[in-house]
Amino acid sequence: MIGAGDRLLLRAAGLTKTFSGDGVRVPAVRGVDLSLRHGEFAAITGPSGSGKSTLLHLLGGLERPTGGEIWLDGARVDQLSQARWAVLRRRRIGFVFQFFNLVSNMTVADNVELAALMGGSNRKQAADRRRELLGELGLAAKADTAPARLSGGEQQRVALARAMANRPALLLADEPTGNLDSAATFSVLRLLARAHADGQAILLVTHDSRVASAADRVISLFDGMVADDAPLGAAGGAAQASEMPLPRVLRLRG
Amino acid sequence: MISVVAGVVGALLLSAGLLQGATNPWQGLFTATRGAQIWLHLSPGTSVAQLRSQVGGIQAVAGPYQATAATVAQGSQRTRVELRATPSLPQVGRPLQVSGGWLTPRTPYGVVLEATFAQAIHIGVGDKLVLDNVDETSRLTVPVVGIAETADQGFYPDQTPGLIWVLPGLLRRIEPDTGHTEEVVGLRIANPAADGFIVQQVVTQLGSSAVGGISTWQQVEQSMARRNPLLGLLLALFGLMALGAALLAIINVTSGRVLIRNADLGMLKALGFTPAQVMVVLTAEHAILAGVGVLAGLGAARLLMPVLLGTVPGVSLASAALPGGWTAVIIGATFGAVLLATAAPAWQASRVRPVAAVRALPPRGHLSRLAGTAMAARMPPAVVLGTRAAFVRKLAAALVISGLAIPMLMITIGLGFWSTLDDVQHNPADIGLAASVTVSPGTLTPAQAGRLIQADPQIQAAYSCVRAEALTLGETTTITTLGMGTSARPYPFHVVAGQLYHAPEQAVATQALLTALHLSVGQFVRMWFGGVPVTFHIVGRIIDPQYDGEVLAYGRDTLADEGAPTPIGFYSLILRPGVSPAAAVTRLTRESDGRLDVAQVPNPADQLGIVHVALASLIAVLAVIGLTSLLTASLLGQRDHQRDVTVLRVMGLTPVQVRVALMMRTTVLGLVAVAIGTVAGRLVSMELVNAVSRLYGLGAGLGRPPSAGTLALAVALAISVAALAGILPPGPSSRMPAAAVLGP
Repeated sequence: MIGAGDRLLLRAAGLTKTFSGDGVRVPAVRGVDLSLRHGEFAAITGPSGSGKSTLLHLLGGLERPTGGEIWLDGARVDQLSQARWAVLRRRRIGFVFQFFNLVSNMTVADNVELAALMGGSNRKQAADRRRELLGELGLAAKADTAPARLSGGEQQRVALARAMANRPALLLADEPTGNLDSAATFSVLRLLARAHADGQAILLVTHDSRVASAADRVISLFDGMVADDAPLGAAGGAAQASEMPLPRVLRLRG
Repeated sequence: MISVVAGVVGALLLSAGLLQGATNPWQGLFTATRGAQIWLHLSPGTSVAQLRSQVGGIQAVAGPYQATAATVAQGSQRTRVELRATPSLPQVGRPLQVSGGWLTPRTPYGVVLEATFAQAIHIGVGDKLVLDNVDETSRLTVPVVGIAETADQGFYPDQTPGLIWVLPGLLRRIEPDTGHTEEVVGLRIANPAADGFIVQQVVTQLGSSAVGGISTWQQVEQSMARRNPLLGLLLALFGLMALGAALLAIINVTSGRVLIRNADLGMLKALGFTPAQVMVVLTAEHAILAGVGVLAGLGAARLLMPVLLGTVPGVSLASAALPGGWTAVIIGATFGAVLLATAAPAWQASRVRPVAAVRALPPRGHLSRLAGTAMAARMPPAVVLGTRAAFVRKLAAALVISGLAIPMLMITIGLGFWSTLDDVQHNPADIGLAASVTVSPGTLTPAQAGRLIQADPQIQAAYSCVRAEALTLGETTTITTLGMGTSARPYPFHVVAGQLYHAPEQAVATQALLTALHLSVGQFVRMWFGGVPVTFHIVGRIIDPQYDGEVLAYGRDTLADEGAPTPIGFYSLILRPGVSPAAAVTRLTRESDGRLDVAQVPNPADQLGIVHVALASLIAVLAVIGLTSLLTASLLGQRDHQRDVTVLRVMGLTPVQVRVALMMRTTVLGLVAVAIGTVAGRLVSMELVNAVSRLYGLGAGLGRPPSAGTLALAVALAISVAALAGILPPGPSSRMPAAAVLGP
């Protein structure tokens, strides 16, 4: 892990989240302990309903935990106000979703620039960063296109560019390939791998073991609890990911 | 949607009812009292028992009631009245009790007064009334036990005498001589239009010598109608615009509702509904909602009407009852608007492919250079994004702006009417009514009268005036001219064009007179006063609604100079500020021991309190309409932006910023609309008042712009409401968990 060091970026301790509605209490996350170092790439896997997405939303401040602590770069953040969380997301946390969630009434370029502008860049810096990212992602020609006119893979690449606009310390990706065909999945994973190679810490939620095997480490959730947390021996780029034999991951989950 | 329909229907019914009560109270009273269309005064002993069988078309007969003329004495003042003996509360032409009770044998000498008469002589339930018979040979002091309204005769004092109901015993006490009585009979007829024919037949049957007087419902209706052409037309225009705007609002909210539910509709189709079924479902749903709304509106109007009327003297609940036709028109128009507004989007929705409808296609757009620069320049992102969001859907933005600008325009016009009315009411001098009291010498000599007036400390200025009839070439009727003050000291008319008369033979005139005589300011006109010709140079134009608006005024010395006969004059008195005309009248009457003839000058605007209420309710309707547009825009916008707003939250917009952005969106639209509406309204309102007053012969110069303070308040209110509307509807805004929105 290039430039990773052993400094802890993110730490969660005893994290719980219980949804209650209509008098029914549904525990989604039940006492998760987890840590992520700078530059580390970890995948969270688990069956549907195991609390993967909820955990990611908790770590990104989109949901407030019912209990437990979250520390980001040595500072406790779980008790921050929504506004402070918003500022964190603007500067230090990037989000990518399964359904892309681009601002529909802005162009591709606007989506990326808006993130940079909100992060505090001036107009020129924002435009430069947008050109750089879209260029890297092969979307330069689509800069002025409405998101709805792009394919799923293209939209997800724009979403990735937007998440990376402010060079966040942490990238949270919630099933980023869940809605993509295999070619698009491959290209998104390759981009994640490249970001990781540049020192980007990534927490990736997926139920696809082949996608998970792109990470350095796989955390398995089951019924809202960590069932397994183990490094992948031969961590590598996305190039190997598609060739990764399935049984290895299954063994980890078991 | 129910609340919007209810609000619009309720407000329209209320304002229409108030207008009806103010301008045409007869219909409501007639219905409520089960009135008779024809009233006959017959000589005593005339038999009417056979009338129903002899004359066709008579449904019911009221009476015969014994009636007699009498006088009410109040100090030195005597007022002629008609006493009408009713043994029990009549079934036809049943007086409608306003306060107190009806006549009972327990109070054999109790009397019930007709409401407008009671108001005019300042008598209420519990007061004592001194009654004299015509010969003044018998006098009785009787208690007033009730006040009642009737559609039998017009309002006092337009139709004298004042009407008092008594028990037959009291009538016989006051007027034992039956030769001084008559019989009053009311005929309720099946076809009101046939009244002339029926009257003829009745007179033939009874013999013309037996019939002392006849009045028909048209006469009563006319005398009750407070005909103020200016306001009638203004309000009609305004009401029509309000109805139109209300329909717009209903269309707005209904189509908005269908649009918002597009996704559900797509789902219905996916489940197997045919396009026709989708349309039927939508139409039925909205018709039911509209029905509930209409019922709620009807109920609200019924509940609120008495409350509102409490603030308006002189309009009774019965007189403000709407004829069924109006209610039907309002309800029909409401239903029509709802169905029309449902039909178009429903047809569209029924044709949309199920899958396409499930997810509404997002609008396209881009971050403008301006918005980008503003954000880079550290403008709050919420403000920039909110402002930008307002105009993402250009057509929708234009619709919202016009949906808000039109009510605002009309509210501004309404406020202009309001301040014009206020001006006329508070500055009667502007319409030639500087003097609030006139005094005729009565039984005093002019010199004595002059001394009394000079000595009165309440009077600021007194002008000696004459009223003289004159003839002009080509005019068949006489013209009332006024010698007001002298050329050296003219009466302070408010001159809207030209100047006041400052020399003999100079005169000012109203627009109606100028139009009637084909004259304009600067021209000369020759008139004959008792055969003596006088040539006037018209030097200015004034506004004066008296004498049908046809007034020529000059210095009274002109008549004397020309040798024209000068009629007995009167004084126009301008009171010191703060002195009430009523107090001045009382004082002068007392000082002169009742020998001076003192009268208060009626200000036509005083009757128009009702107009204020009608204006206020119309403004309320317009406000509801504006609010509807805003809320619809806000809901539609939230539907459009729900996902985007959540994405922005994920990207780092704080909850407060989200709210600010949502508020900005409607605020910006509100600002634009209010600016357009207010500016246009201000430009139009004075012109409109002036144009209409020209139409009615008053001439331009009456219109006042809305007061700056009120307008500023209205604007501030509109914009604050616009801001609140952005976050008020229980939309997703900042509360919904992000995960729920960001999913598939």
